[in-house]
Amino acid sequence: MNCDDYKQAIGADPSFDGGAGHRSECQSCQEYRRDMQALDLTIGRALALDVPELVMPSLDDVDTGDVVTLKSRRPVAMKTWFSVAATVALAVFIGFRFGPGNISGNVSLADEILAHVTHEPAALQVSSQKVSDDHLNKVVPASIADMDHSAGLITFAETCPISGYDVPHLVIQGEHGPITIMLLPNEKISAAISLNDEKSHGVILPVGDGSIAIVGSRGEKLEDVQKKILQSVKWET
Amino acid sequence: MQSSNADIVRRKRFDQIVGVFHQDMYRYAAWLCRDKAIAEDVVQESMLRAWKSLEALRDDTAAKPWLLTIVRRENARYFERKRLETVDIDNLTASQAALLAEQPDDDLRDMRAAIYELDDDYREPLVLQVMMGYSTNEIAEQMELKQGAVLTRLHRARAKLREVMQQQAAL
Repeated sequence: MNCDDYKQAIGADPSFDGGAGHRSECQSCQEYRRDMQALDLTIGRALALDVPELVMPSLDDVDTGDVVTLKSRRPVAMKTWFSVAATVALAVFIGFRFGPGNISGNVSLADEILAHVTHEPAALQVSSQKVSDDHLNKVVPASIADMDHSAGLITFAETCPISGYDVPHLVIQGEHGPITIMLLPNEKISAAISLNDEKSHGVILPVGDGSIAIVGSRGEKLEDVQKKILQSVKWET
Repeated sequence: MQSSNADIVRRKRFDQIVGVFHQDMYRYAAWLCRDKAIAEDVVQESMLRAWKSLEALRDDTAAKPWLLTIVRRENARYFERKRLETVDIDNLTASQAALLAEQPDDDLRDMRAAIYELDDDYREPLVLQVMMGYSTNEIAEQMELKQGAVLTRLHRARAKLREVMQQQAAL
């Protein structure tokens, strides 16, 4: 492998692990590899756009016949856009304060969870010290979930008050930092709620008569953890 | 009663799948079309398609590529209906500009603008690899390309981004 081949391979995939013999002898390629890996971190962060709250379409009419096609958005002038934005902002404000219980409750739950994560110092610590199985079993009773370290290294497990209930609060170490998991067997929600703030993202997922909240750093991939936690919870069955 | 229970189970399955992957669906759509409002439309339509054909998804572990394929097709359908216009980064609509306006960090803002300006052919495989964690084989399958073409596009995309970021740093 020569420099061109190596750089081509690294440019296509900075995690490329071949060509170790060439790399060890070529300072230029070592430098190129470091540059590309650093570049990829920035690309990953730049790609992680803020995601608006999930709005489920009305699915009741879609069971038969052709899929409904939404009307294309008409282009709107800047002035009109600002008027619409102001109206939406007002509607959101009114919705937050005076909206129906379900919507208001979901917003409050999302806010409460994000606030709890932010203000729980242990939830933000990077650690390699896992909690003992005994302690984990005390915090997460078998009636709630079969929890072990298969979803990731659990470094924090405590019971915390959320929305009037004491619920298990777990922290797993992810690739980009701690991932917070809250098991909420008493918080029934009608649809998934997206969680976003400046530094973190996540979701509250409906699970039977309860829900689970998963929050990680921006850029953290939460799918694997979500799947494992969904498999472990008991109250749905 | 049995039918009703089946409906509930189906809806629960759909909510869980979409709950887990809606962020990926939105971000993929947003980087395909480069417009927040259109991305939201595309995701909404994709959810309707997914709901209608949920039974086609045999294995929930394959839900992510299944949903992203639907998003890709819905995005293509959207632009079949509405002719795709060339985007001038200095003259964006509010909805296009909103995609670039979120990032307070200078480096990230520059990088986001550079990604925005990449050709579609280069931007999409990069999004699939870096953000969605796809292998080059999976990207080739998703984009109906040969793996060699994917490798070339990824290499060129990164080379372009590196060049732009170096120019920005030199200013």
